[in-house]
Amino acid sequence: MLSVSHELRRRLVGMLALGALLVAGPVFAAPSAKPQRIMSLNMCNDLILLMLVPRSRIASITYLAHDAVDRLMPGADRGVATNRGTAEELLLHKPDLILASPWSSSVARRLGKQVNAPIIEVETAYDFEAIRRVIRQIGSAVGEPARAEALIAGMDRDLAALAARPAMRPLRVVAWTGDGLVPGRGTLTDAIITAAGGINIGAKHADNSTASFGLEELLAARPDAIMQGMGSYDAPALRENVARHPLIKRFFAGRQIDYPDAYYACGLPQTAQAARQLADAFARVPRGGPRW
Amino acid sequence: MSRLLWPAAILLLVAVMLLSLAVGRVWLPPSAMIDGLLAPQPNLASLILIELRLPRTLLALIVGLTLGLSGAVLQGLLRNPLASPDLLGVSSGAALGAVIAIYFGLASVFPLATPILGIIGALIAGLVTFTIGRGGTLTLILAGVAVTGLASAGLSLALNFAPNAFAAFEITNWLLGSLAERSWSQLLLATPFMLAGMACLIVNMRALDALTLGETQAASLGIDLDRARLLALLGTALAVGAATSITGGISFIGLLAPHLVRPFVGHQPSRVLLPAALFGAILLLVADIATRLIPTDQEVKLGVLTSLVGAPFFFWLVLRLRRTSP
Repeated sequence: MLSVSHELRRRLVGMLALGALLVAGPVFAAPSAKPQRIMSLNMCNDLILLMLVPRSRIASITYLAHDAVDRLMPGADRGVATNRGTAEELLLHKPDLILASPWSSSVARRLGKQVNAPIIEVETAYDFEAIRRVIRQIGSAVGEPARAEALIAGMDRDLAALAARPAMRPLRVVAWTGDGLVPGRGTLTDAIITAAGGINIGAKHADNSTASFGLEELLAARPDAIMQGMGSYDAPALRENVARHPLIKRFFAGRQIDYPDAYYACGLPQTAQAARQLADAFARVPRGGPRW
Repeated sequence: MSRLLWPAAILLLVAVMLLSLAVGRVWLPPSAMIDGLLAPQPNLASLILIELRLPRTLLALIVGLTLGLSGAVLQGLLRNPLASPDLLGVSSGAALGAVIAIYFGLASVFPLATPILGIIGALIAGLVTFTIGRGGTLTLILAGVAVTGLASAGLSLALNFAPNAFAAFEITNWLLGSLAERSWSQLLLATPFMLAGMACLIVNMRALDALTLGETQAASLGIDLDRARLLALLGTALAVGAATSITGGISFIGLLAPHLVRPFVGHQPSRVLLPAALFGAILLLVADIATRLIPTDQEVKLGVLTSLVGAPFFFWLVLRLRRTSP
């Protein structure tokens, strides 16, 4: 009996909190006082958050962010607590703002409502326009719109510099890591390749964000260069067997472009820098297709 | 009947090998293939044919031979129609060994590490199953199930500790078995082990025949049973361990092939071995051709296809066993 009434009370509190959130939603979305204990449940949000607010205002970021932070802005997460997106941590870290993704666990979200912290759901950015949207959204939620605009302006300067480069014959490339899946149309990698002046031959299906590409198809497509992701996941893996296939070594020597995974995993201001680096790499690829 | 079997089987094998060279994700008309092969410079057709499809076809041939042969030897040795490397946990042990070699960096330092650890894993798994499962069909199969369970637990544990974040995704995929994108170097790495394993298995032929009379009778005929068991175990571990470390898990070929040939050659184990190996190769080649012909975005995994065909056969086998045994 006791437990039943307890359960009932817990639910009532939850419903009240939900009601409060619904009523107060618009107020929370543009808070007058800046949130001081921000909790992020998504790696891409972690990275943008670290660029927008001082560490002292962050309650926790995900444990996944560390490798990417090391690569993009070493030391920026020093002393920041990490979470694994569990419900218990939500109660423990007592956030006053939660940055979630459309995939954040529904339990965490339900509990977020109970601890009375507003939840901002941030989309995943797959192109530069979406990156601007996401930075603005997080910037306004954490009360740093000016800082957000500065980040966007930096990214747009990089993009403008890229557009100002002398035009060259666009290279036909594919981001092929050897597990048969390549990023196709509508992926961030596709957007970066296009911005760098390349043609992504992985975008062969109109409606498929990832396409499959066996070695036979790769040879038949005869790309000018093969892009291979490098980064925190350099630990030994099976896919290397295929990526280091003797055929690739023999015919794509000097045509393999290593790119840092960290810049391609999340849509960030630095994504434009990644596109500039890629354009530089394109310029170094020998003219004419692979010879056989 | 058996006189016709050999030419027919060899003809069939050659036909499926040619077919395996002809089909792939990229369609090459036969004339383009011949032109490409005759051209002095490397070209698309010759590269696909010689560097991709030929090693794949040869790998299917030799892996199919080893699976069919080891299945036949195990069924003869244990006088058990349900015996096969995958049901006895040998394949799982091999997979565990190979995964450890790949994900803890041994393979990139020392390429032979993958087949060697695969063989060691297969050997340990086989040894445990044989030791625990002595005493009848049921105990043996149960021991196989237990060893498979242990090996897959070890596999999950290894993946938990693997330094690579993609490990879980990749290895689940790899365990499904495939011959796609294997290179000559991988083929050459594993082939000596598979050949050595097959030699161990074939040497055993006479012992298997004697064993059909029962263990005591075989011993009284001068058969060294311990030597026969050791050779079968070693041969299976070498052959299946090396094969699994290159292809991932391919199940049911070892079970299926001996049963397919028995109606033609009779039940004498020594007569079953070589036809079973031949049919193992034919089955694997046909399955591998099918993975390339089924129009899916990503190739259907070979092990998935062999299981789809093999599992219903296993059901049939179990039902028949229930009818015939008291």
